[in-house]
Formats: sequence, structure tokens, C-alpha cells
Amino acid sequence: MADVDLSEPEKVYILHSVQENLREDGRGCEDFRHMEVETGLISNTNGSARVRLASTDVLVGIKVQLTPVDPKKPNVGRIEFFLDCSANATPAFEGRGGEGLASEITAMLTRSYSCFSAIDYTSLCLLPGQQCWLLYIDILLLECGGNLFDAVSIAVKAALFNLRIPNVTMTKDEGGIELDVSDDPFDFKRLDVSGAPVIVTVNKIGHQHVVDASEKEEACSLAKVMLGITEKGTVTAMKKEGSGSLDSESISEMIESAKNVGIELNKCLLNILKEEEAKIEEPVGFLR
Amino acid sequence: MPLFKTFKITQPKEYYEKFLEKDVRPDNRELGEFRPTVLNIGCVTTAEGSSLVKLGNTSVICGIKAEVAEPASDGKKGYLVPNVELPPLCSTNFKPGPPSELAQVLSQNMVDFLTDSKCVRLEDLCIVPGKLVWSLYIDLVCLDFDGNVMDACTLALMAALRNTLLPVVTVDEDSGEITTDVSIHQKLSISKCPVSTSFIIFDKKILLVDPTSEEEDLATGALTIITEGDNLCSIYKPGGTPLTDTQMKTCIDRAFLRGREAERLIEELIDK
Amino acid sequence: MPTDTRRITGPETSRSPYDYCQIEISKEENQNELIKSDKKRKDGRLAAQLRPIFLKANVISQARGSSYIEMGQTKVICAVYGPREVMRREDFSLKGQLTCDFKFTTFSCRQRRQHQQDNQEKDLSVQMLEALEPAVCLHKYPKSQINIYATVLQNDGSALSAAIMCASVALATAGIEMYDLVLASSLGVLNTVLLVDPTLQEEENIANETGKSPQNAGTMTLAFLPSLNQVSAMTSDGQFLFDMINKSMQQCIENCQKLYPVLQQCLVEDVKEKANLTHA
Repeated sequence: MADVDLSEPEKVYILHSVQENLREDGRGCEDFRHMEVETGLISNTNGSARVRLASTDVLVGIKVQLTPVDPKKPNVGRIEFFLDCSANATPAFEGRGGEGLASEITAMLTRSYSCFSAIDYTSLCLLPGQQCWLLYIDILLLECGGNLFDAVSIAVKAALFNLRIPNVTMTKDEGGIELDVSDDPFDFKRLDVSGAPVIVTVNKIGHQHVVDASEKEEACSLAKVMLGITEKGTVTAMKKEGSGSLDSESISEMIESAKNVGIELNKCLLNILKEEEAKIEEPVGFLR
Repeated sequence: MPLFKTFKITQPKEYYEKFLEKDVRPDNRELGEFRPTVLNIGCVTTAEGSSLVKLGNTSVICGIKAEVAEPASDGKKGYLVPNVELPPLCSTNFKPGPPSELAQVLSQNMVDFLTDSKCVRLEDLCIVPGKLVWSLYIDLVCLDFDGNVMDACTLALMAALRNTLLPVVTVDEDSGEITTDVSIHQKLSISKCPVSTSFIIFDKKILLVDPTSEEEDLATGALTIITEGDNLCSIYKPGGTPLTDTQMKTCIDRAFLRGREAERLIEELIDK
Repeated sequence: MPTDTRRITGPETSRSPYDYCQIEISKEENQNELIKSDKKRKDGRLAAQLRPIFLKANVISQARGSSYIEMGQTKVICAVYGPREVMRREDFSLKGQLTCDFKFTTFSCRQRRQHQQDNQEKDLSVQMLEALEPAVCLHKYPKSQINIYATVLQNDGSALSAAIMCASVALATAGIEMYDLVLASSLGVLNTVLLVDPTLQEEENIANETGKSPQNAGTMTLAFLPSLNQVSAMTSDGQFLFDMINKSMQQCIENCQKLYPVLQQCLVEDVKEKANLTHA
């Protein structure tokens, strides 16, 4: 991740202000920064979304593909995550520099979505034991401004909401069943994302904890807890990160905050996505 | 630091010479003496066959995973795929990443060892001719690299092969459907028991059997002899100091002795 | 798959014979029953019972520190090298660096694994590092690195927690300065049942259950520094209802505390052995 150089007094300032529940940008400890979500802006994908969280910028595109089922799980479809750290975001990502971060984020997403209640995996299966949909979820990190995990997970959920899977007609033939994927752009089905999780990262700073930390705040934090949280408040994945350790009471407090924020975040996101869809508007993309 | 340690580090060759003058090695062994050999068979139950060999400090674990595959064009031969891993875990000499040169050489030695001795007939690995054969992935992982990994590997390999139990796989003639019955197991038929014995040549004249890694570092040449019962299978001498006839003869005699010793050790443990 | 020129390769494709096992439906149902009517698990343990542990330090002569652990059938060996010089100049730092390398041997699981480190192994390496880093006094090792290599010889569940404890003992025998030993414990949760130190079969059964009902179904691993009373790592997979997390966390901490004397005793034995060697 991009390194921010903070002097000791700056760190102390951030630490003290967090203690007073008034962060350096005026937020409270459980407030998110301003966020913009836009969906359906890349026409050659089946679903896409862009999320801008303060200065963090993430673009997600989903392509679907028919593929033979995994013989061990014959009744479900599959999803795969790929993350590309653009060298535009920070020079540190040049070459293979971003690979470590990319594999960490994809691992966390894979774990959050590995729970069968996250999305309806059986609906992605066309012919049990034979053919299913494989969702390639490609994530592009355009700018880093702190809280990457959360921003990426929000963008993924928005893109899944936007996903249009073409309908498939099946005809029985002598040699077996023939699949015909519809060409009509208006002949599609949607995916239910009400169970899809978002990741909420809680950073421990001093004796307090904050959500949606900026890069500066992340530099002051030695330990954080990440949780994949659904709208109902169930936890689909959890992970502690950072070189510091935590006592069990503060972990309890942190996951409590994460739950509250996560439930609220899921609700807001779904509302915004529905609102956006109701409006018929030209996509603005990056020109805004 | 005690004086003898300083001596050992600064002048390792002279240090060894002092011992070898008296026909003894620093670890209290005679020149023709093996380190204590410990064999543990069937230690990994997730593998179809497994064994652990310790030669003094050197330890190698062998696990065999069996898979089914389509045979090559001739249709009857199965596959034996031995690989030796020298992970960074076992010594400071190895870095993470692709196999080192030494690991590649050892893997190839294992292939030669299996083909030269013909201890497993590839035709015995056939399930249905032309359709399905066994592919045995034999992975040897070195856990502690203290010299003579070759002998440890071959011993572990033979013990694991003897320990291998395969589930019964049948192919339906009409539908071609494959079914596995895990309740019955069959052993591999292995009639022979080849054994390798390694030597190093110290200071162009003295032969040491079962070298430690310190001794290997000082060697001016190496020699590995593979025997099978009363037969000589192969001799592997990759360059280095040339040997005289009498020296060769002594080595071969020592190798036969070791061969019977090792064979007895495997037999004893298999019968248990 | 790209061909590996540095290894001996077999046939292009091959499959495990166990893929062709016929699954009997009645048997399958029984398998998912984690606790039998006599309140015991498949292997005869109670729900809150740990498996017997075998732990031995100093098993690799070439390493600075090493140890071997068996938890039931799970077997892990671990070596620590360093502190040694950092080779690449760009990696220079005044604080010492810790690296972790977690690997399953190809024969450690029912399905054969590949030689190269896969994504799961990379993820587990990172999780191991996160668990150990808070315990090591890295500021005492400027400009140098400490490498930890963990190899799973056989996986029968809870491999991560076994590897963390194994590495912690190996670090201690290597004489690396630490604030505390690191203990770790895994837990499987299905509905309201907490299964301590789950076996591989229990882990798989739980993974198959996730999402089938709105209840709990998941596994959690927690690493704990007992004398500082701090949690150094915590990860979970699967689905947890919110209240269950706290309960599981407490249970894991309790188990870690049970294991503390085992690690201590192992280190004492090791010191005794070393003392005997120098006297002799």
C-alpha cells in the first residue's frame, strides 16, 4: 500500500482527535466518508460498477461464461475474483509490486463469498452435473485513499446487483442437450444480492477504533479487524491484520461496531442501487 | 568459542585430517561405518504409501499418491513419477522457489534407480489395457539435510513402495464408467529390493561411506553403488578423483554388505 | 497446465481414484451428524475435548530452531533460520523482518496437492505471519530477516493452529527474543454446537452445511499470547451469527490457556537436553 510519511506530532494529533470522537476530517468514529456508486458503465461486461470512496477509486467488471461444473459440487455455479493494482494508483504497484496486496484482497473476498448464503449459487447452475455459469469478477484498483477492502467489496456487490445473465434455452437433441445463449440484450435474469456481504474494516487507533480509515489513520493503526457482514448481521468471514495484538474485550467492541456499520452500509447501498436504477440517466463515468 | 571449534571452522580440511590419521571420523564413526538408520513405515495415512528414513541427522519423508490416468500409446504401462524436494526448511543451502540443481539431479537419479532396477513393472500398474492405468506420484521431501540424501531417498522410496496399498478400481465394459471400491486394497507386487550406498573421496585418497554434509563439502569425488541382492545394478560416479581397482572392489564389497543390512531392515518392519 | 521442466512430470491429466467412489446416501446423512447420540464425536472425543498433542523441539539439525507437532493425525514440522542478512538491498529496514512460508506436502491430503504454493497456502502463510509477528521483538534485529518455514506432512484438520504453535516453539528454541509464546486453537461451529480442535472430516462437513440454514456453520482459528492476555490473530470462515462470535472467541482463548503448559514443558525438556549435551 502507498506509504504515508507522518511525523510524530501528526500521529499524536490523529490519536488524540480519535480519542475525542472527532477525526481529523471532522467525522465521528463510526462514520464513512462520502461515497459515489455508479453501475452499468462498461457496456461490454455483463455487470459493472465503480465506487469512489473519498479518494479511493475502484472499478469492477463481471463477465459470465458457461463452463463444466466442478465434479465435487455438481449443483452450483462458481465465481472467481481477480484484482489488478494499477500502477496509476501508486508507483509501488509497478511491475509485480501490487501482487501481495491483490492476493490478500482476493483471498478475503473469496472467503466472504464462499458461504453458500452469500449469493444463490444454485441459480448459476444450468444443468446439474454438466454446465454452470462461471462469474469472472475483475477488479481494478485505480486510486488508493485508504480502506481498500471495504471499497472493493462494495463495488463487487454493486456490480453483482447490476449483473445481467443472459437467458439460456435448452433443447433436447439426439446427442444430448443443446444450450443456446440468448443474444437479445433485454432477455436476461438478475441475481439476488440481498445475502451478499460487504467487508467492514475496523482500525484500532489508541484506545479507540474507527471505521473507514483514511490513509493517514491507517498509518497510525497497528491492528485492524476485517469482517464480511451481510444485511442480516451474520458474519461470513473474519480476519485480523496488522503487526499489533488486541485484547479480547476490544475485539468484541470492534466487531460490535463492524456489525452495526455493516448492516447500515448494506441497507444504504441497496437503496442507492435501486434508486439509481429507477432513474433513467446517461452514465457519467469518470467525466463527473 | 573453544579452540577445537575455531580450528574446525578456519581449517576444516586439516581438522578432518587429524581425525582420519587415526582412522576415525569426528562423529566417532569408522571410515566404513553408516550412521544409525531409523526407518518408520506408514507414517502418513493420507498417502497410499509412506515412510520416513533417518540416517543420523538426515531425514527424508516419502509419500506416494496414486491417481488414475489414460495410458500412453502402447497402452499397458503405468506411470512412476518420483520427485525429490529440497525445501528451504531442510538447510540454509536452499532458497524458496523452483527446485535447485541438486534436487533435479536427485529426482533424475530416482528415475534411473527405478528403471535400472526394474523393481516395479510398469505393466503391473495397468487397470484396463489401453484405457486406464495407475500413476504413482512418489514425492520425497528432505526434512533435514545432513549429507547422503541419496541413500536416504532410495531407502525411503523402497519402503514406501512396499507399504503402498491401492484401492480396487474397476471399469464397466459397456458404459466405460469407473468405480472405486475403498473397502478392498491390494499391494503392489515388488520382488526386488535395490539399495544404494554412497561414498565420498576425501583428499583424493580416503574413502568415507555415508558422508555428512560437512564431509560432502570437503569431498574431491563421490560414488554411489546400487546393489540388488547379489547383483550389482549400477555404479554412478560423476567425475572427481579417479579410483583404483582395489578401491572400487572395497567399495563394492561394502555396498553388498549394506544392501543386505538395509533389506533386512525393511523386511523386519514390513512384517510387523 | 504449463509443463514444469525442473521436475519429473507424469501423464498430462490424472484423477484421484476417490473421485469415483460411489456415495451411499444413507451413509452421507450419517456423516453429517457430528455428534452421536452418546454425546461423543466420530473419534470418540467430547465436543470440548482437544486431541492429544505430541510436541518436540530441535528436530532439524541444520536449522537455528525447529520443532515438530502432532495433533491427532495432523503433523506439522517447522524450521526457523536467521536472523540473517537481507539479500536484496531494497528490502533494507531498521526493523527486523519476519517471513513465513506455509506448505502442504503433495501427499498430506486426500487429494494430491501441487508442488507450487497455491492461493490457499499463500493465504495461510500470511495468516501465520500475522499471528506470530506481534510476539517477536523485531526491533532487536535491525537490517536482518528471520525466516520461518512450516510444512504440513499430514492434514487432519486444524493445520493452521498446529503450524502457529509449532513455529512459536521453533522461534523460542532458535533463541529469537519474543514477548510471549504464541498459542493457537481452532473451533468448528455448527448451529449451537462448538467442536473444539476439529478434524478434517468435521471441517469438511461444516463447510458443506454453510448457507443451507440461517444458522451458524463455520470454523474459527485464534492465536493468543497468554501472559500478555492479547489476541494476535483471529480468522473465521463460513457463516457465524453475531452472538456466536464472542462465544467462540472465549472458547478458543480457554483452549489456548489449556495448551500453555504443554509448550512450556516442551521448551524445558529442550533446555535440559541441551544442558546434558554440553556437560557430557
